[in-house]
Amino acid sequence: MSAIELRNMNKVYGNSFHALQDLSFDIRDGEFMVFVGPSGCGKSTALRMIAGLESITSGELRIGGRLLNDVDPKDRDIAMVFQSYALYPHKTVRENIAFPLQMAGLPKTEIAKRVDEAARTLELTTLLDHRPAILSGGQRQRVAMGRAIVRKPAAFLMDEPLSNLDAKLRVQMRAEIASLQRKLIVTTIYVTHDQVEAMTMGDRVAVMKGGVLQQVDTPQNLYNRPDNVFVAAFIGSPSMNLYEAVLNGTTLTLGSNSFEIPDRVFEYRPSLNGVSNRQVIVGIRPEHMNDAAIRRSSAEFSAPVTLVEALGSESLVHLNIDAPWVDAGDPDAVADIGDEKAAIARFSPKSTVRAGDIARVAVDAEELHFFEPDTRTSIW
Amino acid sequence: MRRTPRFNINGILVNAAALVLVLSYALPYVYLLMTSIKPAADVQQIPPSFLPAVVSLENFREVLQSSALPKAFASSLAVAVLTTVLSLAVAVPAAYVATQYRRKITTLFLLFALVTRMVPSVSLGMPLFQLLKSLGLLDTIPGLVLAHTSTAVPLALLLMSAFFEGVPKELEEAARMDGCTRFQAFRKIILPVMIGGIAVTALFTFITSWNEFLYALLLTSEATKTAPIVIAEYNSVYGLAWGAMTAAAVLYSLPVIVVTLALQKQIVGGLTFGAVKG
Repeated sequence: MSAIELRNMNKVYGNSFHALQDLSFDIRDGEFMVFVGPSGCGKSTALRMIAGLESITSGELRIGGRLLNDVDPKDRDIAMVFQSYALYPHKTVRENIAFPLQMAGLPKTEIAKRVDEAARTLELTTLLDHRPAILSGGQRQRVAMGRAIVRKPAAFLMDEPLSNLDAKLRVQMRAEIASLQRKLIVTTIYVTHDQVEAMTMGDRVAVMKGGVLQQVDTPQNLYNRPDNVFVAAFIGSPSMNLYEAVLNGTTLTLGSNSFEIPDRVFEYRPSLNGVSNRQVIVGIRPEHMNDAAIRRSSAEFSAPVTLVEALGSESLVHLNIDAPWVDAGDPDAVADIGDEKAAIARFSPKSTVRAGDIARVAVDAEELHFFEPDTRTSIW
Repeated sequence: MRRTPRFNINGILVNAAALVLVLSYALPYVYLLMTSIKPAADVQQIPPSFLPAVVSLENFREVLQSSALPKAFASSLAVAVLTTVLSLAVAVPAAYVATQYRRKITTLFLLFALVTRMVPSVSLGMPLFQLLKSLGLLDTIPGLVLAHTSTAVPLALLLMSAFFEGVPKELEEAARMDGCTRFQAFRKIILPVMIGGIAVTALFTFITSWNEFLYALLLTSEATKTAPIVIAEYNSVYGLAWGAMTAAAVLYSLPVIVVTLALQKQIVGGLTFGAVKG
């Protein structure tokens, strides 16, 4: 059993910086948990505290029921893959993978057997006698993985292991890591700032911001039922479009446009029933806005098009919506080309709208998200 | 299509400047070498000649047959080797901790080490003399080793700190995750990675001690006199024995030249360590 329990874990540095606040949740035995969030959100700090490389200011960490707060990293039975791989440059691939087994005092025959097994799994057999310096980024990443899996540890910790790879290799490696984890069934915590990695790899994803856990849930639930504005905007690419709006009965007013909200929305968000002139933050995912010329909807509005990015399979259409824009609070959010406050809609590639047009936009109104303007939490 | 070689004025100027620099450094040594292989009678001829008319090894025979020089060589070697070992044993772990576990106190520690390099050696001579006298270590190898170590450690500390700055912290962390204690991580992973830097530091420390004159003059007499003192003694009240002195100086410079050439690869690797990340 190697379930990981975090109870009110806090990290306060010497300069009083509170890097992690009351982190509490359980990671099930064999689960693939992803910590995701923007820079400085505390995800790597949390991982390093679990590894034992950072002290725990207060709270409890248990792995397999054993309290590990003051246990040395070497005695935690955890393997870690670092962002920079941290391969030992003076050792060959074979020696790198064998090192944790040598430290554990395993017999030479057992070490050789396990190294060969790990090398076969990771397709490193022909590279075993090479030094890391001559390996490509992807090969180094595999060696780092090999060094982790060879020990058969209670848990794997991975700190942004794919961030140094190019985009194509990253896609390949993330599939390989996910399938390897499912084959080995070892509890894994994976840290990334890339929400696509988080969504595609994790059984569950913990979204963090400013040292505070925002939500832990399955990728699909994070996408469908975000707890707050930050999670709503962080999960999904391009981000959810967030605007201040007014809901009066079943009519939503978004800037100078108004449209009707279908009954089903009120069924799963009963708090919105019978409100009059209530200020809300409305969230519309890009994929829930279409070209009305191609796909009609009962909820439509018009907006000027500022830019069209034709990607072949779809067109990202930047729209100028005249409602107050809402900042989700993601410090890493990249400003869109031209105007960061533009809404982005994911139109069919058949759409003929061009920059400068006034587009008629069909909204899939059943998929709208509503948030409290004050607390920024979801309205259910 | 082949590119026509272009007249590169910058390249020529840089090479010419380098040549002038090399010649200005090499010329005194070449003159020393030439003088050492001149017969005794030709050494002091007026006007002096640069090249020897006849090549003679009589100066070398004379210094090697004297009892003073081989003994002084042995003293120099023992002092330099022990100083190097002791300095590295202190400076390497200290520099690692000071750079990898950076705190205000470690920064102060490195600054303090730098300050000790600013104190003129001559001003420390008398305190060292008194200290070693009270410990009964005057004119002993351990005494001179301690004196040399006191000046070599700051140099070794600064050199090693610069090398350790280039070592990623993750390397030690990975070793700790792989089952090492902090000390094991240092010994099994960090030290082997730093071998180039350690070689450079060892060489500089060795040369510092090997060439040291002032403390050797103050703190030793007959029993443990080092070679620089013996070489200087060829200039005596009876005159200046140019031939013997230059021959002894040539012999004394050989170990350093041989070691430097042998470690050339490690030295260049060590000096450029951290400049290029692998």
